[in-house]
Amino acid sequence: MATTNATITINSDIMSYSGSVSTEMTMKKFGSTVGIEETTGLQVKKFNATTAVEIVANTEGTAGKGSKVYIRNTGSSTTDFFYVALNNNAAGATTTETIGRLYGGDWMLMPWIATAATTHDIVVAPSTTNTMTLEYMVFQE
Amino acid sequence: MATTTATVSITSADLVPGMPVSINASSTLYQTGTTTGLELVEMGRGTLTEASGTDALADALGTADTTNWVYICNKSTNVEQYMVIGIHDTILGHLGSEEWLWIPWNMSDGDAEIFIEAEAAGSIDYEYAIYRSTNTLPASDKA
Repeated sequence: MATTNATITINSDIMSYSGSVSTEMTMKKFGSTVGIEETTGLQVKKFNATTAVEIVANTEGTAGKGSKVYIRNTGSSTTDFFYVALNNNAAGATTTETIGRLYGGDWMLMPWIATAATTHDIVVAPSTTNTMTLEYMVFQE
Repeated sequence: MATTTATVSITSADLVPGMPVSINASSTLYQTGTTTGLELVEMGRGTLTEASGTDALADALGTADTTNWVYICNKSTNVEQYMVIGIHDTILGHLGSEEWLWIPWNMSDGDAEIFIEAEAAGSIDYEYAIYRSTNTLPASDKA
């Protein structure tokens, strides 16, 4: 059994008292104590058009299980970003269902149900034709 | 100006044989398209039961299509208890016991609430934090 740990630390001075978060998790299979045992490996892709692109097909996970997806915009721009969405062929401001924006340096780690339909492909759309790079990794079940 | 940073470390010595996984990333949370830090936050802890059905953890109150961030952690230690997490009609995934998520949330329109749901018997404690660029308080029904 493989063991994969992920720790998030959030430090903030928004509030006048401590608002810090520090949590570690072990990525487990759905409803199990067994660790995730498959991965796509870390993938890196460059973009230079605003066209929406599928980066993870729903077939890369088993529907209804415990897969996780890590995505990071490796850039440093505070104005250029990627939309990230669950959709078959689009990602945009109001696409169903856009999750959010990843600006330069932003990262996300989310559970992914991998429903066996194109509605659960993971799609990104750059906001600019400037070259941007995305890295991503699926921890699959 | 407030400063909020989110850091992740993902490690595994044996997921990929002969090639340890080591990912480290850190980001500063800015208001939409700026270098001004986010200044609105809501943090809390709650309890869900299967019987409570699907609940909105946060409504998309504020300016649509902006920079916002969501952290949710399933605090249950029972591996049979998981949370279903999604946006409006779309399920993102299952958050297993002692697992967390960190996602951007652009509040694409008024129908982009973050929903949570408990599955399996018993109650599930959860923690969350939502960092926003903007927020509009719900209207009061006071006469």
